Amino acid sequence: MIHKSSIINHQSLVIGWLYPSLMSTYGDRGNIICLKKRCNWRDIDVEIVLIEKETSDQQLKTIDLLFGGGAQDREQNIVIDDLKGKKAEVIKTRIEHNMPSLFVCGSPQIMGKSYEPGIGKRIEGIGIFDMETIHPGLNVPRCIGNIVAEVQWQNFFVPTTYKLPPTGYIVGFENHGGRTRLGKTAKPFAKVIKGFGNNGEDGTEGVVYKNAIGCYFHGPLLPKNPHIADYLITKALQVKYEKDITLSPLDDSLEWQAHRAIVKRLGITI
Amino acid sequence: MLNTLLIIFGKLLSRFAKAFNLGHGSTWPGHIALKVNPDFIKDLLQNTNTKIVLVAGTNGKTTTSLMLKSILKESGKSVLHNASGANLRNGIASYLLLNTNRSGKITQDFAIFESDENTLPHLLNDISPTFLVVLNLFRDQLDRYGEVTLIAKKWEEAFEKLGKKTTLILNADDPLVASLGKNSKAQKLFFGITVDYESNITDFAVDSVQCYVCGEKLLYTKTFFSHLGIWHCPGCKLERPKPSLEEFRHYPLDGMYNKYNTHAAVLTAQKLSVDTQTIINAFKEFEPAFGRQEVIRYNGKRIQIFLSKNPTGFNESLKTICDKNAKHVMLLLNDRIPDGKDVSWIWDVGFEDTIQNFPHITVSGDRVYDLTLRLKYAEEDDISFFESLKNALSNAVSKLSKDETLYILATYSAMLEARKLLTGKKIL
Repeated sequence: MIHKSSIINHQSLVIGWLYPSLMSTYGDRGNIICLKKRCNWRDIDVEIVLIEKETSDQQLKTIDLLFGGGAQDREQNIVIDDLKGKKAEVIKTRIEHNMPSLFVCGSPQIMGKSYEPGIGKRIEGIGIFDMETIHPGLNVPRCIGNIVAEVQWQNFFVPTTYKLPPTGYIVGFENHGGRTRLGKTAKPFAKVIKGFGNNGEDGTEGVVYKNAIGCYFHGPLLPKNPHIADYLITKALQVKYEKDITLSPLDDSLEWQAHRAIVKRLGITI
Repeated sequence: MLNTLLIIFGKLLSRFAKAFNLGHGSTWPGHIALKVNPDFIKDLLQNTNTKIVLVAGTNGKTTTSLMLKSILKESGKSVLHNASGANLRNGIASYLLLNTNRSGKITQDFAIFESDENTLPHLLNDISPTFLVVLNLFRDQLDRYGEVTLIAKKWEEAFEKLGKKTTLILNADDPLVASLGKNSKAQKLFFGITVDYESNITDFAVDSVQCYVCGEKLLYTKTFFSHLGIWHCPGCKLERPKPSLEEFRHYPLDGMYNKYNTHAAVLTAQKLSVDTQTIINAFKEFEPAFGRQEVIRYNGKRIQIFLSKNPTGFNESLKTICDKNAKHVMLLLNDRIPDGKDVSWIWDVGFEDTIQNFPHITVSGDRVYDLTLRLKYAEEDDISFFESLKNALSNAVSKLSKDETLYILATYSAMLEARKLLTGKKIL
């Protein structure tokens, strides 16, 4: 499949993936594949940087778009130990300077203020998001299932011109033990339509700060939500090239078909 | 006395259920028996000479159990095996109950039970097995079971209670499995594989590359697939144990994963002093379990079904049919309870490496759009996809010429559905 674009030529993005060997619990890789393909189909070059223990701060500074997936509690500890200090500072500075980022599943927990796991010690997060997460213990049921939410974020716009106009809905799957409460300065990413979201109680789902999104949707969020993928790509190009960017449209009929199948299955009428 | 009553009642109930067509009645009697007497399984097995073999692991339980069963039968033993797939506690209780003799006793030489990840610790409270075979631990159905290391932790606790009479048959190539039973009195035997081969399919679904003991990142001198290979820990110096069995003369099924299954069954048989010729004779007659490389004839066409329920299983199935030069491939993805409700794992399958090799691809199942979309992002968009499995099957079969095979890779419930449509028979 080749989608050529005459508007955008020889642009490129560096996409960073946080600790794929430690934080790639369940199909998280789908987000990287999705971002890469949607760029390539528009002739935007992509370099993927796998951020691991060995990655230098210098390399970290070159990243235009950051992604983090889910981790098991054990691995989460290893990640936070490595992240704290220099790496966390670089990421925080980049996010302050509007680098778009997506953290799904477990990674938002460590990007928040703190996380208390089911077993083991409380983890101090790197504090990008004003929120705290507490795991209520291994005997309390996890929040598991298909989820539909509606984006409530003022910054969010639906990029490019789709043949099939999408709603502001996002669809996916959540599976988390931790319950997250947003602090006073934090803004939610979306409102839960069906599912649990941040804590199963206040109807909020995820969190946003500048161009960074954290959410409990896990695994491959982007393929069935191409509007979020294109939003991140557009923002990354805008920040990098310091100009307005309009992405050329792709044929997303299959993406929206898969998206609508979940909405329909959960008994929601658009 | 209580158990005798439960057995009589259970048998009657089962007959009643069958006579009035109230389902297959396979787990009801066990469910009731366990409600009335929580120690039903334990009590029933206490006074028998039956040797129990438990087979656990994410992939390969049914095939390994069947291989061992065929070997034991070939050597003249009587064997019980809960083949109906109802391998939870209720299923095992029912199965035992329905297979007692007139005086309510189990009399067979061997009983082979498959156990899923979550049931194993509970089962070990009821049963002290002669053999406990642990095949592997992959990320499977996380939505049901939580995290892999958590399961391993629960297993480790349960294994500590095992006595000297139990022999653990462990996969040396799976670091997590090989590290099990550290504090157990049970005897340990290891199997592995040896091949001049390195995985060429990119496995992204890596589960336990951290040392289970010290948390250091494990190093591999060879990877066979997923996290299975020749491993060692640079931190605590733990390494892959030397296996007692790495090769065998005859393999009844294709695929590297079936080498592991074969070795697990053979090692258990060898420990029981079954001679090699008997094992080979059993393997020559071996018929796979339903849906596990099972061949079905349908309207004169050949169809082979590969149960593929997680990234590792899917990758291995894709690799195996690639080696067979498959032309016609059907992929089925369901998201019911036996499949796991979360289908995110399809993004961990290395479709990019294989999918272009197949000229005809059909996709169906509850999550047909998810899977078709996954293939689109692997740059494969020449796909026939159908919401209706029936339409998908007739379309794919119609494209087959006489000597061609349709290879179906399917998750558990999709496999059962496809099988039912193809054979006209319902199995479960």
